[in-house]
Amino acid sequence: MSFRRRLLLLFALTVLLSVAAVTVIISTWTRRAFDHANDERTAAFVAQFHREFQNHGEDVSRRVQSIAASAEANRMLVAAAQTAADYSPFLDTAQVIAGAQRLDFLEFADDRGTIISSAQWPAKFGYNDPLVAQSPPGAPFLKEEELPSGPALGLFAIRSTTAVGRRLYIIGGIRLDKSFLAGLNPPAGMSVMLYETLDAEKFSSDHLIFADGASQNPQELEPIIQQVQSTHREARIVIRGGNAGGEIVNAFPLTGDHDQVLGVLLVASSRQVYAELRNQIRVAALLAASAGLILAILLSSWAATRVTRPVEELARAAREVAAGNWNIAVKVKTQDEIGELAESFNSMTRDLLDHRERLVQAERVAAWRELARRLAHELKNPLFPLQLTVENLLRARDQGQQQFDETFRESSATLLSEISNLKNIIARFSDFSKMPQPHFQSVELRELCESAIKLHQAQLTKAGISCNLEISAGNPIAADPELMHRALSNLILNAIEAMPNGGAINLRAGYRQDSVRIEVADTGSGLAPQETAQLFTPYYTSKPHGSGLGLAIVQSIVSDHGGRISVASEPGRGTTFIIELPANRDKLPAAQGTHI
Amino acid sequence: MKRFSSILIAATSLACTPSMIAATRPHYGGTLRIGVQTSAQVFEPTASAAPGFRSLTQLVFETLVKLDDRGRPQPLLAASWQVEPGNQRWRFQVRNGVVFSDGIPVDASVAAASLRAANPDWKVFALGDLVMVETSSPMPNLAAELALPRNSISRRNQGALIGTGPFTVTQWDATKQHLTLQANDEYWGGRPFIDSIEADLGKNDRDQLMLMDLGKSDLVEVAPEDIRRAQTGNRLLKASQPMELLALFFTREARSDDEIHLRNALALSIDSAALNNVVFQSAGEPTGALLPNWLSGYGFVYPAGSVATRPRAAHSVAWTLSCDSSDPVARIAADRIVLNAKDAGIALQIVTSDVADIRLVKVALPSADSETALNVLARAFQLPAPTFANSSVGSLYTAETASLQSRRVIPLVYLRTAVAFRSNVHGLKLLPDGSWQLDNVWLSAETP
Repeated sequence: MSFRRRLLLLFALTVLLSVAAVTVIISTWTRRAFDHANDERTAAFVAQFHREFQNHGEDVSRRVQSIAASAEANRMLVAAAQTAADYSPFLDTAQVIAGAQRLDFLEFADDRGTIISSAQWPAKFGYNDPLVAQSPPGAPFLKEEELPSGPALGLFAIRSTTAVGRRLYIIGGIRLDKSFLAGLNPPAGMSVMLYETLDAEKFSSDHLIFADGASQNPQELEPIIQQVQSTHREARIVIRGGNAGGEIVNAFPLTGDHDQVLGVLLVASSRQVYAELRNQIRVAALLAASAGLILAILLSSWAATRVTRPVEELARAAREVAAGNWNIAVKVKTQDEIGELAESFNSMTRDLLDHRERLVQAERVAAWRELARRLAHELKNPLFPLQLTVENLLRARDQGQQQFDETFRESSATLLSEISNLKNIIARFSDFSKMPQPHFQSVELRELCESAIKLHQAQLTKAGISCNLEISAGNPIAADPELMHRALSNLILNAIEAMPNGGAINLRAGYRQDSVRIEVADTGSGLAPQETAQLFTPYYTSKPHGSGLGLAIVQSIVSDHGGRISVASEPGRGTTFIIELPANRDKLPAAQGTHI
Repeated sequence: MKRFSSILIAATSLACTPSMIAATRPHYGGTLRIGVQTSAQVFEPTASAAPGFRSLTQLVFETLVKLDDRGRPQPLLAASWQVEPGNQRWRFQVRNGVVFSDGIPVDASVAAASLRAANPDWKVFALGDLVMVETSSPMPNLAAELALPRNSISRRNQGALIGTGPFTVTQWDATKQHLTLQANDEYWGGRPFIDSIEADLGKNDRDQLMLMDLGKSDLVEVAPEDIRRAQTGNRLLKASQPMELLALFFTREARSDDEIHLRNALALSIDSAALNNVVFQSAGEPTGALLPNWLSGYGFVYPAGSVATRPRAAHSVAWTLSCDSSDPVARIAADRIVLNAKDAGIALQIVTSDVADIRLVKVALPSADSETALNVLARAFQLPAPTFANSSVGSLYTAETASLQSRRVIPLVYLRTAVAFRSNVHGLKLLPDGSWQLDNVWLSAETP
């Protein structure tokens, strides 16, 4: 990762983390503040519920008391006092009085608890009301009332009246139903529900009463209701509601005389306000983060411009140096560490140039010396016979005509031979200096190798050398067939000369994906490591009569084809020359089909 | 002084005579306004067997035979009849001079066609002025059977059913449940006293009683539970014998002896006396029989006692129970039955749908003839047809006991029906089957 990107990442992370941290802190504070306010509102509403509950209870007590004091109650009491109680006149009495007194429940029972008249269940006359037998409470109380349609929860009061030595109980109540809840007038954003705990073993949404509308998913309330039923203590649950923010539901047990949970009051506070605030905070954080990111990009770009541009220039200059272009300098604009680094780089490139110049000059001198040495060596060999021949001729001129003629003939032949030798030496040097550029054509490796072997077949046979050819199938490559033929010939010839006592030449050629590999291995005496290192140096030879140009020419040809040549050799185990050539098919002229 | 007193008495008697005659002597004219609880879609004899509705249809549609106060067949459209030995072949002599309200005379062929349509199992044909009825099995009570409303002699005229009765239908509005009848001047038995009858059907009896108190109605059908309440004030009231059976009807046959035992436990669990005394305000009598005591001549009630002493179901069972949702008293009765059943370990759930295991039904006594009534009730409750060895009470008891054996039906209470009327209504008579005989009713000027 570049320094510029790291700098950008660092800036972005710093901004994002800062914004995220601030957002989390603000959100947490907001949520706590909202929860605190919600707790206060819920507590106030529950207090209101208890007041309403108390007020309704007192109201029910007053109504029941007025019924107890009515003439109808007295008439009923007298009828109940008779030996054979006749309930028929009172079948609908409780219903009529309950309607007049706006009571949902009203029952008249004698002192044995026998129901005389029931408003909520008229058919229940003659049955016993267990409440009478259990020393009924004086204060209003919650009670689960059995109805034909199923149980219901009500707020009850019980009063009695006495006459003719008998007591009549009047049990009246109002149902805790939808209208009761609606009368509580919960504040905006708050709703109230009542769960009638009619079957504590099994939750049923049918027992859930709503003041307004119905909960979208009553099943979500099941855990908190069951918790209150089991613990008899209030509980809280947060119901997630997507974008609406959900609700916080507080549940409070409504207990009867014996502390049994008869109902659960559920106060739900909408979290919509909190959700909206939270969304606003998130939007603000998003905007701040976006602005911070833009700022981070600008700042990092500015910083990167100041810091990384000199470094990038240095890197570019270093790449140039690595590519061989040492004549390069970096502009020094600052006086800081980067500027010092650039100055050092420039100093280094200057030193390198100086060193290279000196090295080139030294190599040039060494080359001239070597050339001179080789020329002297090459030229000295034919010159010495020339000198002797000329001295023989001079000496023969003094010995007679016949002797002279004979010596002249012999000397003339020798002179011509040595002069020819000198011309050959000069021609080789001339050829090396005039090595032509390859003319690429389509070349089959097999044909190339076989033609090279065929050229030297007579010498191989004479020298007792066998030749093994291993060539894999593949597409033709682009190469100069004449130059490559010359290179292979040089290598084969070199191998023949390395095995004066016979042996074997293994010529292997194989295709790679975009290149070919040609190996020419002999079973000669091998080369020492120091010989191997100088093997391709022009005019270097380990042979008594070599020019030292054969392998240099091979290397030149391979290099001109874009390939490379290497050698692997161990003394006593032969030498292997390895040519690796690119396929160079892109260098073929269009519709090229010429093979050697 | 004595002479003066005699003269004064004579003068007073002369002065009072016209008004007394006017109050007691029937006279023609006037419109009788009636309120009936039953509602119906068509005004035809088979539309409803409720007493009030039946009372109205009997004014328009007549049968060959009618039953008297003791349930004995009496001639109506048939002047006479004979039965051949074996009680399978009957011949009825159609009364001469009887015409339908559209003027078409009633002859034997018309009467036979009407009876054939109502009784496809019988072979009915006209033979001269005789209507011949042949049955596949002996029917000693065929004459009483012919007194049933479904055997009314009628014919269709432009889609409307017309009869031979003392009144004709001038307007029937099924939507408003309003019926207007007009006196049939050509009635073979003589024109009725009142000119017309305006009847409102399907109305609550308490509302109708209030209308009567306001002078907007003359005669109102009273529900059994309101009989005691209706007797207060200045109203006149006539109550019938117990003739409407409240019963539990199982909608399917018992599938096992165990289920019959459970049905027995249910029957024994129900406190019929409390139902009668409280829910129906002692308007009837508890019963365990299909026929009322006054008709059959024997008692058939289940043993009463405290709930604790009654047998419980051998195992728990749950049935659904339906009742007439428009009848609040029926609902209370159903609630009471549910409570009683619960004490016996039987769970009943009241449903509003007709698809229920048990239905709480009210069935009007179809005939004042016991065997005919039992036959019709057996058909209504899908019971096996009763067989009578002879016409004795023992035979009737055996047949009825056999009918109840399957426990398809649990009789609970036999209820009276009643009619309340204003003091200007005279000549009203209740028949044994609970219907009202209105053809002899006349109206007087009401005295405050």
